[in-house]
Amino acid sequence: MGVSLNQPSTLEQILITTKVEKVMNWSRATSVWPVTFGLACCAIEMMAAGASRFDFDRFGAGIFRATPRQADLMIIAGTVTYKMAPVIKTLYDQMPEPKWVIAMGSCATAGGPFDSYHTIQGVDKIIPVDVFIPGCPPRPESLIYGFMKLQDKIMTSSLADRYKDIFEEVG
Amino acid sequence: MSDETLPQPSESPEAPAGPYIYDYAASPQRQVVMPKTVPLPSLRTYEAEVKAAVAADEAKWQKMLADFETAKAKAEAEGKEAPKPPVRPVPRKDDNDLKTPWPQEAKDDDLHRLQERLGGKVEEIFEQAGELTCQVSKEAILEALQLCRQDIALNYEMLADQTATHYPAATGFAFSVVYHLTSISRRKRLRLRILVPEEFSPESACAVYPSANWMEREIYDMLGIRFANHPDMTRILCPEDWEGHPLRKDYPVVGWGQRDIAFREDRGGMLERIALQKAGQLGINLKQPKAE
Repeated sequence: MGVSLNQPSTLEQILITTKVEKVMNWSRATSVWPVTFGLACCAIEMMAAGASRFDFDRFGAGIFRATPRQADLMIIAGTVTYKMAPVIKTLYDQMPEPKWVIAMGSCATAGGPFDSYHTIQGVDKIIPVDVFIPGCPPRPESLIYGFMKLQDKIMTSSLADRYKDIFEEVG
Repeated sequence: MSDETLPQPSESPEAPAGPYIYDYAASPQRQVVMPKTVPLPSLRTYEAEVKAAVAADEAKWQKMLADFETAKAKAEAEGKEAPKPPVRPVPRKDDNDLKTPWPQEAKDDDLHRLQERLGGKVEEIFEQAGELTCQVSKEAILEALQLCRQDIALNYEMLADQTATHYPAATGFAFSVVYHLTSISRRKRLRLRILVPEEFSPESACAVYPSANWMEREIYDMLGIRFANHPDMTRILCPEDWEGHPLRKDYPVVGWGQRDIAFREDRGGMLERIALQKAGQLGINLKQPKAE
């Protein structure tokens, strides 16, 4: 029984060489758990995205956690008012690092039609945002596309980048 | 890339100096425009307007007649042909079927009963488009509400809505507070109205209609009318630290800058934690470990 030289050995069959960072990013990108958190009509579309027709769970993001301490992603789905801003900030602060934010819909991105006294003109004035999704409200496909963009961002991120500015501030 | 290679814009005064930038602060939606009229429905005001219009029409006709007389005398003196006598213009027929229904004389028994029981405290009663309106003096509103609720012939059980409007152009009052009453047993609706000047506290309706509690809080929040003897006269929609009353006409639509908050810079509360750490109150070491 002749042994072919092109045949990989048993060790090569069971081992893959990769970077720790890549594995970390892959595991993070495929299990992003959002907070159960909706503000206005965009939350209805977010719920539709989580339901069976669009099935957000295919991307590992279907587990909407009831507490920010178990969540990685915050989907700002709706109008951000002045009264709600400290609450959003508190919820964001309670989320453990690494954490990401999606601003869903035109209200959360730029205030939308509410150029009024009570509406924060974009949630990025309060918390840093990773992905902005336009639409009023965006369809579940848009949310899924935006989420896939976030997955791309997570995959290309580096562990060192995330904390670089923080470490620089601390010195 | 030097600037000489770029095509220079023409020096004509019509051409804009740079790229067109919309002046967001000067847009007409952001300017506070104070109303010059008082669009408060009232039979008295409507009758006065009609009377003034008739008088103006008559004055115009008299002026035309006088002009004709002078022109005629002048033509006779000069020996010319006399001018044509003027024809009074017929008022143009308005076929617009979207006209506002005007206030009319009160015919309903409820309004007359209110006037009979309250006497001089009723300032005005009228009907408009089948809706009953009774304007009472601002000190007698609680009495009027009690009468509407307890009188067996009126029997208005429910305060369906209570709201207010700001009239900055009016003299003698600044706000109108409106009470929409509903009688479920008699299937009727009635509107009570008071005219309130600035800094006046009308009596709260909570003693008669408990549902007025939140509506009066909303009126206070949005317009700044403080109701006397209210159990909890605090804001209901805006936060407690809000400044101004947003439904006043002199309040800008974009507010007084409350929405321009920015706590983005404190990233995840990190700066605060660093400050705490520097003060020695936090045990977590955030510093990057350095190689020896």
